[in-house]
Amino acid sequence: MSLIATGTTYLVEVRLRPEFTDAAGLAALAQLQHAGFAGVRAVRISTLYEICGPLNQSHVQQASKELLNDGVTQEFKVLSGPPVLDGMNHWRVEVWLKNTMTDPVGESVRRAIAELGLPEPERVRCGSAYRILGRTTKNILERIVLRTLANPVVHSFTVTEAYD
Amino acid sequence: MMVSKPALRGKRPKVLVLRAPGTNCDMETALAFKRVGGEPELVSIADFKAAKVRLMEFSVVAIPGGFSYGDDVGAGKILANQVKLYMKEIRNFVRLGRPVIGICNGFQALVKAGLLPFSAAGEQTASFTANDSGRFESRWVHLRLNTQSMCLWTQGLPEMIELPVAHGEGKLVLKSPRHLEELKKNKSIALQYVSDDGKLLGYPHNPNGSVFNIAGLTNPEGNCLGLMPHPERFTVRHHHPNWTRQTFMKEGVGLEMFRNAVKYCQS
Amino acid sequence: MTECRAAPSDGGALRFTVLPPKELKELGDKLGWSLNSAELEAIRSYFKKVGREPTRGEVETIAQTWSEHCKHKTFNGPIRYSDGKKTQLIRSLFAETIVKATQGLSKPWCLSVFKDNAGIVSFGKGGRWALAVKVETHNHPCAVEPYGGAETGIGGVIRDVLGAGLGAKPVLNTDTFCLARPDYAGALPEGALHPVRTLRGVVAGVRDYGNRMGIPTAGGGLWFDDDYRLNPLVFCGTVGVLPTWAVRKEVKPGDLIVAVGGPTGRDGLHGATFSSATLEGESDRTAVQIGHPLNEKRVLDAMMIARDRKLYRAVTDCGAGGFSSAIGELAKDCGARVELSGAPVKCSDLEPWEIWLSEAQERMVLAVPRKSYAELEKLFHAEGTGCSILGEFTDSGRLVVTLKGAPVADLDMGFLHDGMPKVERRAVWTNGSKPKPRPCGRKSGAADRGRLGSILIRMLGHLNVCSREWVIRQYDYEVQAGTVIKPLQGLRHDGPGDACVIWPAAATGEWEDLSGFSVGHGLNPSYGRLDPYWMAMCCADEALRNLLCVGADISKAVFLDNFCWASPEVPEQLGGLVRAALGCHDAAKGYSVPFISGKDSLYNQSRDEKGRDLAIPGTVLITAMAPVQDITRSVTMDFKGPGNSLFLVGVTKDETGGSLLSQMESCGGEVPKPDPKAAIKAFKAVAGAISKKLVLSAHDLSEGGLGVAVAEMAFSGESGATIELDQVLTSPAMLPDETTLFSESPSRVLLEVSPKDDVALMRALKGVPARRIGSTTANPLIKVSGFDGSIVLETLLVDLKTAWQKTLPELLK
Repeated sequence: MSLIATGTTYLVEVRLRPEFTDAAGLAALAQLQHAGFAGVRAVRISTLYEICGPLNQSHVQQASKELLNDGVTQEFKVLSGPPVLDGMNHWRVEVWLKNTMTDPVGESVRRAIAELGLPEPERVRCGSAYRILGRTTKNILERIVLRTLANPVVHSFTVTEAYD
Repeated sequence: MMVSKPALRGKRPKVLVLRAPGTNCDMETALAFKRVGGEPELVSIADFKAAKVRLMEFSVVAIPGGFSYGDDVGAGKILANQVKLYMKEIRNFVRLGRPVIGICNGFQALVKAGLLPFSAAGEQTASFTANDSGRFESRWVHLRLNTQSMCLWTQGLPEMIELPVAHGEGKLVLKSPRHLEELKKNKSIALQYVSDDGKLLGYPHNPNGSVFNIAGLTNPEGNCLGLMPHPERFTVRHHHPNWTRQTFMKEGVGLEMFRNAVKYCQS
Repeated sequence: MTECRAAPSDGGALRFTVLPPKELKELGDKLGWSLNSAELEAIRSYFKKVGREPTRGEVETIAQTWSEHCKHKTFNGPIRYSDGKKTQLIRSLFAETIVKATQGLSKPWCLSVFKDNAGIVSFGKGGRWALAVKVETHNHPCAVEPYGGAETGIGGVIRDVLGAGLGAKPVLNTDTFCLARPDYAGALPEGALHPVRTLRGVVAGVRDYGNRMGIPTAGGGLWFDDDYRLNPLVFCGTVGVLPTWAVRKEVKPGDLIVAVGGPTGRDGLHGATFSSATLEGESDRTAVQIGHPLNEKRVLDAMMIARDRKLYRAVTDCGAGGFSSAIGELAKDCGARVELSGAPVKCSDLEPWEIWLSEAQERMVLAVPRKSYAELEKLFHAEGTGCSILGEFTDSGRLVVTLKGAPVADLDMGFLHDGMPKVERRAVWTNGSKPKPRPCGRKSGAADRGRLGSILIRMLGHLNVCSREWVIRQYDYEVQAGTVIKPLQGLRHDGPGDACVIWPAAATGEWEDLSGFSVGHGLNPSYGRLDPYWMAMCCADEALRNLLCVGADISKAVFLDNFCWASPEVPEQLGGLVRAALGCHDAAKGYSVPFISGKDSLYNQSRDEKGRDLAIPGTVLITAMAPVQDITRSVTMDFKGPGNSLFLVGVTKDETGGSLLSQMESCGGEVPKPDPKAAIKAFKAVAGAISKKLVLSAHDLSEGGLGVAVAEMAFSGESGATIELDQVLTSPAMLPDETTLFSESPSRVLLEVSPKDDVALMRALKGVPARRIGSTTANPLIKVSGFDGSIVLETLLVDLKTAWQKTLPELLK
């Protein structure tokens, strides 16, 4: 896979503030339990945006604030570097559409960023981060994710033990 | 505050039905206005961007339901940004007291654009999250109208009505608990989800888990209404899921809302 | 723009004509062509005659045009069919069954049959409108990626309707799924998805695509059978409205070839050949995509405006085979010159043949007069979607494709469309070899009291009967404000309606015209296990009864067929398919209802975890559509109140073969056999009674027979019922109570009638087998007295409804 990109790549994570019920997270929790992950205790989901193009840090901040994030219910951060490891039963599962798949949400976001008057990104991809609390091993969790949250036919995914 | 009448009166008030990519309920909303004597026109947000339309030539603005821009990022969010960018005059339109309605996705856009519930300040004070059930849901709900409300759209309607909802992201939340007190004080809570005997109960009566069972909000002046239920889907009695069991209904109660706005412009 | 992946090395001319047959076949398999040896030979001799080697683009074009998916070789090819008694040669199964029946009936309201992307019939008062209808399957993609597969499935059938005539506005979607049970606990081969995941995925896919398109999904069904575990079936249907003037399309040489919609990428290459090959562990996985409903909505909105401004003369959708099949189809009778550099692409490294054959979704091809192009382009760009010129239609009879002037393909249209060698297949139908189980129908008597009640409760909770509310509520079944009879009916809006009724006033703008239409379905692979002929007949009968029970005008009904079968190369499988097609023919003739569109999906079989071939049960979905002349006279299936009479129309026979009873009690019997002539006479009488407003509620008897039908009507309307089984018209005159209650004899409906109208109803049903068998009650229970007068069943409505409602939520929570 070769990706030619002239600009910088940013990763933005948008999540529901902790005081709000994460209905999709609860649904994922039930699915993980159903698939045999007995020790799972909580799941919350964040949306990930990988933005690639001639934007600088403040452009990305502005796009996140005005477009990607809902000021009432959500909070966001522009990620730099990998998440903190050593999770103490905290897991982070990132699921992305494969690069060869069309990403309709990414496409909408790419156009919408340009509408804000910011430089138009070359590419935006959208993914999900499942923040999971539960006792398991990486191998087992990977197997369960393959049965529930990700389909290798269309998705790529990573599992890390990570507290955030 | 006094509500000033639309500048343009006429036998058939012009109704702007706003379209954006992914708008779905534009045709039935336009049809509802047409049936009660309005002159609906489908106008794309792109026409505002290209400065091809003048908002002030219209007497009513309706933002219909659908999945504007696919609801990518969040329901109504990109449309809200577009409205803020290209329909700046809408704030003035509301301030002048002209009728504005946002239905479902249109309600979400009005809230995210900061036009509801407190349009004066212009900042977003409420929002929507996923239904508590975690699923998109279509169902008919019982609603109680706030008879104290100034809302021009619901004047004269029975206190208890039924309408359908169909959404996945309809749980209304407020930025701060004090906003709820303010909404109550301003009589801005136009509609609430209730059980068939009028009680504020949980799911499925409250189909999404909205705070205080709020189904619709109006600005304190009562000319701008946003609601998750679909009045355009109950404009003939045969829209009701139980019309084959009843004979007393004359027409759908939703039509009355559109008639109220048209009459308001005609008077 | 980014590069998607390393470029394949063999894009140019191939060493084709000189390869020995074996190596040629190996090359074809490696490149994923799904061409058999005879077809490769035909291509070789064509290019020998032309005197050059083919390009990859040419062979790819031919391979996909000749694929099972596009050419329906089995249905159109010769079959030597033997049914044990005699052997006959069927020259074309399609022509000699489905088409023959339709031509024989020659109904004037059928405006376009089997020609266009969808069948088209006239609609509404004054002849100004027409309905286009199509049902498709998208089985193989849904097996590997249920969400994306269902999305692209519904997206594809919507484009079929958008590409019918000059384009119809979709006003209804339907979805029917055949899956393994969600609680399947057996083994699965590596890579196969568990059925519960498939179910969640396909429901979410139809939901997200249909809801975003603003099309109500308001009809369909679910069928569970573990033999679908490796090959789930996903049927998606769409009905659209178009003005009558827009039914005809024509392509004129000189018209521009215009592509509209999304850009072209490497997505979905080999979709057509993929769906024609048996699904094995290593499938060509680029064939699966996810949908982009927003792009399709943009195309829909722009196209409807462009159509009404008459900016184009013909349109077709890009489905399997992408541009190659869309342009090949439109240019069939003239010719085309295509320059691919005009196509907007997602990535810069696409091979020319990949652009030509890509199955990127959400694209259509239009034939546009030169003078209209500028306006058309402006319109599509204003909606935020693509519009570009790919070339022009010619009168050369050739398909010439270039990229920046360099040849990609230059093929003779005649060879491309008619040059395919026909393969004669062998079909065998044998019946009666299966072991016969114990006959259903235990002795009657007071001892049955608890037993029949418990059977009824288990039936209502059975996956093939239980409430589908969990699925239906996820669909926006009321968008466009035309769903006047909803899929969920009854006092609490949760009973199982027979069909929806759509009043497309928002689409036509004619809200004073009370014309609507209804769509019903018949599907029952259990009968097919016994005899596919009677399965097809029963499905047609049930689909019509669904329409009848909401008050549709079944004298103007039309059918659509969807056959899903295992490999036609297995003579016994093909024998079953022939039986089913013969059943469709006889049903069309017998009920006087023409088929106007259809599709087949073959090779639905896969290797299971032990390497054995697992075939799906042969499956026919019959979709029926009929106008509702006056939507305000529609009826629903819920009891309207106590004290009303219940009339059973039709004769109950000892027909328990394939029935729900036979599955639950491990017994057997004769497969239900409709008599279309008698049935249609009864249906017309019932329709007359409904139009005279004599009928308060109507429900068809299907899985679980009379028992299930009464229970559903009762708990949906919250009125009880007493039923006297000795009043039921049976043949023979005496049947065990169990049989009378649960037999699945076809052509029966149960009607609720006000007692003051009893006489009028019997007059309306003169000459039709019908009897008053009981009444509705205020008591919230169902009470059934047996042939000897004793009470054989007494069950509370709440128990019946709870059993019916809890199955899916418990499995899917």
